[in-house]
Amino acid sequence: MGLPCGTYNTSPQEDMAIVRTRTQWVLLALGLAFLATLALYLPPLWVLWLITLGCYVVAALGLHILTGLCGQFSMGHAAFMAVGAYAAAIFGKEYGLPAWATLPIAGVLAGLVGLVFGTPALRIRGFYLVMSTIAAQFMMVWLLRDSPLSEWTGGYESYRVPDIVILGSRIGDVGKWWLTLAVVVVAVVLAKNIQRTSAGRRFIAVRDNDLAAEVMGVNLFRTKLLAFFIGCCFAGVAGWLWAHAAVRSVLVGQFQFDTSLKLLGMVIVGGMGSTTGAVMGAVLISLADMVTTSYISPAIGESFPELAGVVSHSLTLIVFASVVMFFIVVEPRGLYYRFLRLKLFYRLHPFSY
Amino acid sequence: MQGLLVGGLYALIALGFTVIFKSSRVLNLAYGEQIVILSYFLHWLLASHGLPGWLGILIILGCGAGLGYAVERLAIRPLLGQPFLALLMMTMMLGFLFKGLVSLKWGGETYAGPFTPDYTWGESIRVNPAHVYAFGAAIAVFVLLFFLFRYTKIGLAMRVVASDHTVSQSLGIRVRQVYSVSWIISGVFAAVCAILVSMVWSIRPVTGDIALGKGLPVLLLGGMDSIPGALFGGLAIGVIESLATQWGPEYQEMIPWAIMLLILVIRPWGIFGERRIERI
Repeated sequence: MGLPCGTYNTSPQEDMAIVRTRTQWVLLALGLAFLATLALYLPPLWVLWLITLGCYVVAALGLHILTGLCGQFSMGHAAFMAVGAYAAAIFGKEYGLPAWATLPIAGVLAGLVGLVFGTPALRIRGFYLVMSTIAAQFMMVWLLRDSPLSEWTGGYESYRVPDIVILGSRIGDVGKWWLTLAVVVVAVVLAKNIQRTSAGRRFIAVRDNDLAAEVMGVNLFRTKLLAFFIGCCFAGVAGWLWAHAAVRSVLVGQFQFDTSLKLLGMVIVGGMGSTTGAVMGAVLISLADMVTTSYISPAIGESFPELAGVVSHSLTLIVFASVVMFFIVVEPRGLYYRFLRLKLFYRLHPFSY
Repeated sequence: MQGLLVGGLYALIALGFTVIFKSSRVLNLAYGEQIVILSYFLHWLLASHGLPGWLGILIILGCGAGLGYAVERLAIRPLLGQPFLALLMMTMMLGFLFKGLVSLKWGGETYAGPFTPDYTWGESIRVNPAHVYAFGAAIAVFVLLFFLFRYTKIGLAMRVVASDHTVSQSLGIRVRQVYSVSWIISGVFAAVCAILVSMVWSIRPVTGDIALGKGLPVLLLGGMDSIPGALFGGLAIGVIESLATQWGPEYQEMIPWAIMLLILVIRPWGIFGERRIERI
């Protein structure tokens, strides 16, 4: 949407800039400072929520690149998070690598696993690809939990992740939030910029019409696999973050099919194909989750004691399903589109266009 | 042998998916949870209200039909013409909604299925009669569907709508009615499944996931839109799975998914499915 009044783009650099005016820079700096200090005065419960949210944001950004940009639908994204988390845990514990060294390992490993499950994308697409990613999800869970590999991953047992130690002391919750924030900021900048590279434009061409893209000289196989690799890398990094910041020990149960659907729900609710949308969707879904489990469910449990044991679990499912269904039916283009419309309305207010 | 019988159950589950997919190209991922909610409802009717069994079955078949119709009318019809992901996600979210409702009403309780037989047949090879009933039901449903699609007017309409719904609408077929009918039929199947599945696996919340986990591989192996395919796929998966179990019990869960991935790479349209040629 248009620039503020009196600002004109006079060079290509200005045209391409993400943050264009000085006011925007100031606002961005203030916003980041606000987020960074948030952990200092929020209750611990909400700090934990923020950290979890950060993990979901990174994973949702990966899914946004894969699904929103390249059009390769995936219902198995949590499985790649699991790969990243287990990579962080195993390399950190068994081989004693420091956390900064396991970060690229987690990302690349998850990306490679993504390549394996992405290869069917050459032959199949759309609907059948969704089926193959569902299969990937269940097979990964099986591999980590029940297969002979489980001796290594601990199977049904949870796997303790080594703490991150800086200057001889373990980092606390606030430190973990700063770590999360740093990873999230880097991921957002990367995702935003991937969209604008030639690879990003190829992704969009493949999404809009893969036959036409192929005719125009886009190497379909390579482009789709690249999308899978990048998307799963993000998921792997999210898994790494999850293992180090959100939980103290990883468990296969944290990366079930439900989590995959949650991630896909975030991308859908936020609006397909926009980075901001993915972040917005993640915030909305996590917020709904948090409010339901921590505030609404205990209240209902108090009023109806016979429901107290089950209300949290079932209400989370119901609220999540309702939010996603609402968006699919009422605003399929997502929150971000609504936000843009609102911005436009505000800017032009007395006039309709 | 045991695998073949279990396969009958899988085939029965897969047939419910096929009916809808064949006419409206929608994969109903809520189907497993539909089965769960119906089986809990059946248990509630019989155990808490003491209704006689035959009346319970009649009511549950009616409820299945009603549930199918309600889902189609309220959730699926507003989305016609949307990209397939919206529909897929919608059915999945419906599944979540049902799961949440079931757990809200009944918690995570496990009940024995209402008509669970407490005897087994055979001396050397023990056979659970419930499996045999399920197998029989699968065959019966298969024959019924075969005749429905081959010889009746509504079956013909379903096939026409599946191949092109714009053309069929201009030929005077009521497309919406056809969709409703196929969802109702599938809802009745969900009720049949609810009765039979609860005999074999008893009534518990995870049945929905299991049904999805077995139904999808069966569906893709046989071909999404093929009724013989669903039957064949069910039996094949059942047999392979029981063979794999001898190799090691932990493989039972994984084998269907592995077969599904394999078939997706080699022959995405399935063994009996119709191959669709993409046109620009």
